[in-house]
Amino acid sequence: MSSAFIVDAHAHIGRPGAFFAPETEPDELLKLMDQLDIERAVCTDHLSVCEGCERTLTILRDVFERSGGRLHYLAVFNPKRSSGCMAALKQAMNWPGFAGLKIHPSFHGVPAEDARYEPAWRFAAERDVPILTHSWSVSDYNPAQQLSTPGRFEPLVGKFPRVRLVLGHAGGRGTGRHEAIRMARDYANVFLDLAGDIFCYRLIEGLVDSVPAEKILFGSDAPWLDPRSRLSHVLLADVPAPAKARILRENALRVYRIGAKEKC
Amino acid sequence: MTSIEEQIKEMADRRHDAAEKLRFFDAGIWLGEPAGFPLAHELSPDGLGAALKGRCITGGLVSHWHGKTVSAQAGNDALTRALEGRRDEVYATWTALPLLPGEGGRLPGAGPVPGQVKATRIFPKAHNFPLTSWCIGGLSEWLASRRMPLFIWHTELDWKSMYELARAFPKQEIVVETQTQKILYHTRPLFALMRDCRNVCVELSNFAGQGFIEYAVREFGAERLIFGSFLPVNDPLVPIGMVLDARISEAEKALIAGGNLRRIVNEVTP
Repeated sequence: MSSAFIVDAHAHIGRPGAFFAPETEPDELLKLMDQLDIERAVCTDHLSVCEGCERTLTILRDVFERSGGRLHYLAVFNPKRSSGCMAALKQAMNWPGFAGLKIHPSFHGVPAEDARYEPAWRFAAERDVPILTHSWSVSDYNPAQQLSTPGRFEPLVGKFPRVRLVLGHAGGRGTGRHEAIRMARDYANVFLDLAGDIFCYRLIEGLVDSVPAEKILFGSDAPWLDPRSRLSHVLLADVPAPAKARILRENALRVYRIGAKEKC
Repeated sequence: MTSIEEQIKEMADRRHDAAEKLRFFDAGIWLGEPAGFPLAHELSPDGLGAALKGRCITGGLVSHWHGKTVSAQAGNDALTRALEGRRDEVYATWTALPLLPGEGGRLPGAGPVPGQVKATRIFPKAHNFPLTSWCIGGLSEWLASRRMPLFIWHTELDWKSMYELARAFPKQEIVVETQTQKILYHTRPLFALMRDCRNVCVELSNFAGQGFIEYAVREFGAERLIFGSFLPVNDPLVPIGMVLDARISEAEKALIAGGNLRRIVNEVTP
């Protein structure tokens, strides 16, 4: 008899932008999670990513409560709206379901090393909460991705060694992944998640060979991408079951400090 | 082994058995050095069999990067050499060009085509020609007369021309491939094209938005989805997982995994 145990460490709820997406509602994500044995997910919403968290945290708290405590949420810090985001963050810090911060240098047009992110890092350090960030490789068709290459985070990672930083998308499909791997090796507080269309051949095997399995988190990027696209990528990869257990569950519980039923 | 590790093993074994049973037949296998993907490793003809077996794939259509990066003829030559004498379920996708009298070398529509060639692909943007009837109509007629499918990356087409071409040649089977960037942002024109042109199918390697497979099966039918992996740039386990866990019938999964592409391949006439 199987039971849900997987943690999706990188998901979204709500319409993801202008393109057509047939499934975007929290209930649709929960239905898919039930099918795939995904116990809980760590989410943001698209409005937060666009603007910041000032007007969205109450909505996300409501989604968490309506989900039966399964859809945790991150507060998006937009450095161009710093004071409003910080006020909202301080208010939400102790709310149920709050799991940390998210930043998106490419979307907000502010490079990852910019000092305007420091209030968010300081907040994370003082409150012992993680930061999830978008990370990617230099792209010839999306120049904004250069603002989120993994090496750019290094000054703030070094300055705030107690802050757990998750490099979302593990640096992307290009050379940014090499930087992400180096960062995860060099810094105890840097982790990698598998969200996004980093569908590269033998990605899971390559990452497990390159960094400790404790550093890798399963993530889907739903609904941009279907959790089913990543799940078999991990389950059928040529890596040992204990490593898969860390990737699919244990690492996310540890990094995001989200409660979960005892499973082991 | 912990209970979670046991559950992981059970989930993996179940998926592996289901994948073997579905006999995945892959529309997107690539030989040669991948262009534009600095972390991808070249797949050699000698390594092809093991790579497919390791990912539960029984065979498929093989392309060569030289067909895009060097010349259509160079890619077709390389494929002919690479696949010569193979007895497995592996066929060639030749790169095609607009038909112009006197153009030399191995090209679809210009001289004999080996029996192993079961599909063609065009690169209108990379090879500098418009996707319009006055330029590639001759090729489309030649392909339609042999029931040979035309593959095209979505990054190589413009949707208006694609629509007009698909309407102009309704017996030409066209497979829109979801590489080399996300198809996600282009689902509105893709789904409108599939709605209006029943000769257009979609390939699955990056057809990965949440619920896309169920939506496409419901709106267009399972016959319109073609399994492809983009190996060795992408991992076949990604589209395999999407098919295995799709909320569709087993018969529909079988069509998508390989039934549709095998039918297309079997209908190609010399």
